[in-house]
Amino acid sequence: MTTTSSDTEQVPVAAPLVGRPDVNRKRMARLGWGFTTPSLIVIGLVTIFPIVYSVVLSFSAATVTGNGVALNGFTGSNYSLVLSSSKWHYALGFTIIYTLVTVLVELVFGTLIALVLERLTAGRGLMMALLLIPWSMITVINAELWGYIYQGTYGVADAILNAVGLGHPNILGQSTPAIIGLMIADIWKTTPFVAILVLAGLVMLPGDIYEAAEVDGSSGWSTFWRITVPLLRPTLALAVMFRVLQAFGLFDLPYVLTNGGPGTATTSLAILGYNVIFKNLSFGPGAAVATTSALLVLLGCLLSLRTFRVQVGKED
Amino acid sequence: MSDVSMDKVNKVYENGFHAVKDMSLDIADGEFMVLVGPSGCGKTTALRMVAGLEDITSGILRIGGKEVNDETPKERDIAMVFQNYALYPHMTVAQNIGFALKLRKLPKNELDAKVKEAAGILGLTDWLDRKPGQLSGGQRQRVAMGRAIVRQPSVFLMDEPLSNLDAKLRVQMRAEVARIQRQIGVSTIYVTHDQVEAMTMGDRVTVMRDGTLQQVDTPQNLYDSPDNIFVAAFIGSPAQNLYDATVGEGARSIKLGSQDVELPESVVLKRPGLRAYAGKEVVVGMRPEHLRAESSTSTGPKIVGEVDLVESLGSELVVHFTIDAHRVIAEGAVDKDEAAALQSGEGVARVEAKTPVKPGDRVTFSVDIEDMQFFDPKTGLAVRG
Ligand SMILES: Nc1ncnc2c1ncn2[C@@H]1O[C@H](COP(=O)(O)OP(=O)(O)O)[C@@H](O)[C@H]1O
Ligand SMILES: [Mg+2]
Repeated sequence: MTTTSSDTEQVPVAAPLVGRPDVNRKRMARLGWGFTTPSLIVIGLVTIFPIVYSVVLSFSAATVTGNGVALNGFTGSNYSLVLSSSKWHYALGFTIIYTLVTVLVELVFGTLIALVLERLTAGRGLMMALLLIPWSMITVINAELWGYIYQGTYGVADAILNAVGLGHPNILGQSTPAIIGLMIADIWKTTPFVAILVLAGLVMLPGDIYEAAEVDGSSGWSTFWRITVPLLRPTLALAVMFRVLQAFGLFDLPYVLTNGGPGTATTSLAILGYNVIFKNLSFGPGAAVATTSALLVLLGCLLSLRTFRVQVGKED
Repeated sequence: MSDVSMDKVNKVYENGFHAVKDMSLDIADGEFMVLVGPSGCGKTTALRMVAGLEDITSGILRIGGKEVNDETPKERDIAMVFQNYALYPHMTVAQNIGFALKLRKLPKNELDAKVKEAAGILGLTDWLDRKPGQLSGGQRQRVAMGRAIVRQPSVFLMDEPLSNLDAKLRVQMRAEVARIQRQIGVSTIYVTHDQVEAMTMGDRVTVMRDGTLQQVDTPQNLYDSPDNIFVAAFIGSPAQNLYDATVGEGARSIKLGSQDVELPESVVLKRPGLRAYAGKEVVVGMRPEHLRAESSTSTGPKIVGEVDLVESLGSELVVHFTIDAHRVIAEGAVDKDEAAALQSGEGVARVEAKTPVKPGDRVTFSVDIEDMQFFDPKTGLAVRG
């Protein structure tokens, strides 16, 4: 349910105000601020403050002391340290490739599944419920599950690979297989989410436009590429943005499955930041990793929106 | 350009609803055929079967003499204007109009020329680069028309294309659509629930009711000699005055409530079937303009009514009056409010603007008895030959 402004304007107010829209609106606005201020303060404390604090931290020569962290004044050295570090370069490259591959595959599979679901007349609800099982699973549990599947002696994936004559490859013990394994686990979990999102977009598309296209002589792929995809653009943009945000912050899957390994093969930016802060206790550089990651993901989202040339929520 | 022929076409929906029943209709090459009837009578279903958007349950549909039951809309070469226009929101006006040609892989310069030509006919030349979202209702309607005419299809199908426009624009577009159709000369089936649209636009008009075809004729013939009570009540605005009446002995008079209206010999000669109704009940129909509030000195058949309401249209007066006869209401032909008002035996006359009538007056109307229509009360069919 969305509430439009005209709905709120119809909320009954004290009698003397009725019929004086200007006074009315000002009063209502003040009332609105009154209601929202407490929650804004709470939100500010739990989200804005940590963000600001980590930015401050990233510009500080912070050290751990007996009773917490001392900022010790401004410095730019955290950033120069991070930006020139080969570990950061690798983590950045890995995170970007991981994001691109998973988002692309999820988008393609998700759209295909949505197209199939849309054509289903019976059992669509059941199919959707089944599809949502992976998505509703907590990531850590999902990771544990795939951990068993990839396990080198009794894992299902291992058994299958063995059966086709590939021996016991120890999937999570080698760089490239581990990366692919992580991607598969992510795709398995998140494709249904993309599918449901795209399906919601699909069922909203007006049916008579498709009939018009049919009368105009369009069919199959031509209709898909010339009508469906363009009309679905806002939905696809939304899906991509969600997924880019999530994938770029990749943390719990490698944390559980590979702990960033083997070596540093699956060390994402988030894992790197975590390690720097909580293992090395280097608060300044760790905060710099976090801050640059946040800026990069913002850039990534803007770029993906640009690609789809839409402002979400705005037609044309 | 081709003729369209429907031969005993039926539509039964999956839920068992029989929406179109044994519809047989021939539309000549280049003809403008209007399909009219109350909402839910099956007009859209019939049109969609011709388009190929709905399966034909039984019967044969031919376009240009060839059976097309199993052909796609593309193969039938039809073009359709949808009620909500169904424009492609992400394409410009030019792209919307040119879409079908682009799919047919027409060379770019030819395509542009055709789009420009269609836009010229419709007055859209200045809007070619706009998206549908930036256009007014009337302009969108024109784009929908443009998309249809640019292809020079075999058949045009239009489903209430003007119903989303405001009253003034509707009247204007009515004339324009008819003009364009004549200009390009493509056989057209035009669906509407508005009998005024039907009367003003169609070469011929098909009246439908509950999935069944009622009458197919020119607008004038539908008006002057409807085949049944439904058509008589549905066509014409204000609606025709239909009353239960009794034919007098020897068919010399009509008893309308407590009034006796003289029936000249000539009327019966033109409708010999009336003789069989002597002493029996009949339904009589009188068009509002066939009741004249003339000076009481004139001779001829008359009825007396009590005036309830006088509406001045400037050029004429619409006089609502009551007589003590029972008003006949053809279900579905008039809307519910109107039907309720008619229960009381109300009639309507259109009289000259200067006639001195006011509510409460008892007015004597002379009846153009030659134009009176007669129907069998049981079958509803016109009494003629
Ligand atoms: N897909 C459908 N399934 C079942 N009944 C339908 C379907 N489409 C239309 N109908 C019914 O068929 C009748 C005729 O509908 P329609 O052709 O749209 O009428 P009209 O265009 O004259 O208003 C209506 O009673 C409608 O409810
Ligand atoms: Mg309809």
